[in-house]
Amino acid sequence: MKKSSVSLRSQGFSKLLGGLFLAGFVSAVQAQAPAPAPAAAPLPAAAIPPTWAQGRTPDGMNPTLVPNPPGISAMPAADIPIDKLKVPPGFKIEVWATGMPNGRSMTESPSGIIYVGTRFTGNVYAVINKGNTREVKTIAKGLHRPNGVAFANGSLYVAELSRIIRYDNIEQNLDNPPAPVVVFDALPKDEPHGWKFMKLSPDGKYLYFQIGTPANIIVPPYTHAAIVRLNLKTNILDYVAYGVRNSVGMDFQPNTKELWFTNNGRDWVNEDLPNDTLNKLTRVGANYGYPFCHQGDFLDPELGKGRSCDEFEKPMMNLGPHVAALGMRFYTGSSFPAQYKNNIFIAEHGSWNKTKRTGYQVVRVVLDSKGKPTKLEPFVTGWLQGETFWGRPVDVQVIKDGSLLISDDETGAIFRVSATK
Amino acid sequence: MTMAFFNFCCFMSSQAFAALAAPDAAAGKTKAQTCFACHGENGMGIEPPIPNLAAQPPLAIFYQLVQFREGMRKGGAMESFAKPLTDNDIRDIAAYFSTLPPPPAKEGDAAKISIGKQIAQQQYCNSCHAPQFQGQKQVSRLAGQSKDYFITQLRNIRSGTRVDMDGTMGSAARGVSDAQIDALAEYAASLP
Repeated sequence: MKKSSVSLRSQGFSKLLGGLFLAGFVSAVQAQAPAPAPAAAPLPAAAIPPTWAQGRTPDGMNPTLVPNPPGISAMPAADIPIDKLKVPPGFKIEVWATGMPNGRSMTESPSGIIYVGTRFTGNVYAVINKGNTREVKTIAKGLHRPNGVAFANGSLYVAELSRIIRYDNIEQNLDNPPAPVVVFDALPKDEPHGWKFMKLSPDGKYLYFQIGTPANIIVPPYTHAAIVRLNLKTNILDYVAYGVRNSVGMDFQPNTKELWFTNNGRDWVNEDLPNDTLNKLTRVGANYGYPFCHQGDFLDPELGKGRSCDEFEKPMMNLGPHVAALGMRFYTGSSFPAQYKNNIFIAEHGSWNKTKRTGYQVVRVVLDSKGKPTKLEPFVTGWLQGETFWGRPVDVQVIKDGSLLISDDETGAIFRVSATK
Repeated sequence: MTMAFFNFCCFMSSQAFAALAAPDAAAGKTKAQTCFACHGENGMGIEPPIPNLAAQPPLAIFYQLVQFREGMRKGGAMESFAKPLTDNDIRDIAAYFSTLPPPPAKEGDAAKISIGKQIAQQQYCNSCHAPQFQGQKQVSRLAGQSKDYFITQLRNIRSGTRVDMDGTMGSAARGVSDAQIDALAEYAASLP
């Protein structure tokens, strides 16, 4: 099957070159062109797609399914339809901060300032809580996909596409931030899945972040489809997990300090496979299966041939196909009811590669006493109305008062969920 | 916020959405007066390097103008033209150009057009730019586009001078030669 498609493809390529030859406008191609063929000869349908489109079969092509446009502008506070958002009884949700185009990953500094990264607008924001209102400052502009943020030792660390930078003494200089110090700049420069989620380890020694696969489904170089950590003292990077397609959310279990992370499943298999997953790092160097095995039990239709899912780690939980499970946090606060303690909240950015939309919500994962997920249930819903979304949750952050912040890169707003008691 | 949201608002009678006005093409025409000097009142660029905007998906215009305004895309002095525009101005302007009749199909070199069509199939261009290159959502219309503009932009995307949304377009452009770009431009221009 594969062999025949290769030969068909080279045949088509020959015809293409032949066509160029006949057209007679490219001398460089002329020099290499094999025997001429009719210019109008169609390419075979089975041509191997280019890297970015691998995994798309001709009959799986659905030109109405296109990645959602990224949030690029902020919805005015008064226009945000907050009454559409539903939370369980005993909770309330409010608009907490607005005016942050494409605001995504969040981190809270010890002083309570929330820093917000972006993937598309190149900005980093600081949100200062002023009691009943919040002040939003844009503290960096023009960065390249500064999606990851972490705070350590008075400095704000930002993960751009291919480097980690640091703003020292940021909180004393929010109105006039210093030029960033480049911490580490030897990261791959691939744009697809190149933006990073970044998390400081509980001991404060490491920044953890992912290096996503540079396409939908390919056999990536060993440098990619991984989670790495950067030692802040030595500046040495090491790999902690392999076979992770793209993780845009991580957190450490508050008691065991184990790393948990979400992972986005591949596209274009079908509407219902594979699942996005919730995973736990069982040991440094563990492999989670991409591109050979997805969700622990689903061999890739093409690349999985000759492999077994038993070679790889299993996910802790399947989260649903195409939901785009991104930011996740353990609930470490004390203001929610006791049964929420150490539960996991996950922001689902929402699907594009599926006819019927799914995701666009924040879910709660309940774990048993041994730390095994037992239940997945919606926690905040309503960004999706029918088949149309007005917001897209990206990250969640438990803040000091025990409430849960939710960033939304479609409205450029942060929502806050609190318990009403 | 996106057109998707506006589509939603128009089907809903909810009070929550009443505050948001739908984009206004008539107001957009007034706001677009400055644009006409180069892009034409009919949305047709007056010179080959200037893109045709007629019948572009409104969201495609919105995304590009916001990127010009925010300095994320540069070229043609568009940054300064976009600077004073609010999101609503841009939505109105986008609504105006999107409702204009599409550019007429251009006759071209038949062999080049044929090759361009084959490359388009091989590269899966229509999986985002739509079957007839008419564009959809934030993805621009290529049908009837100025060849000169098409070539410049695809080369810029290939080199990384122009950065796309998520790397997909950059990745798609990387494997395309100058000659293939020329053929793709010829093909796109030939589409109605």
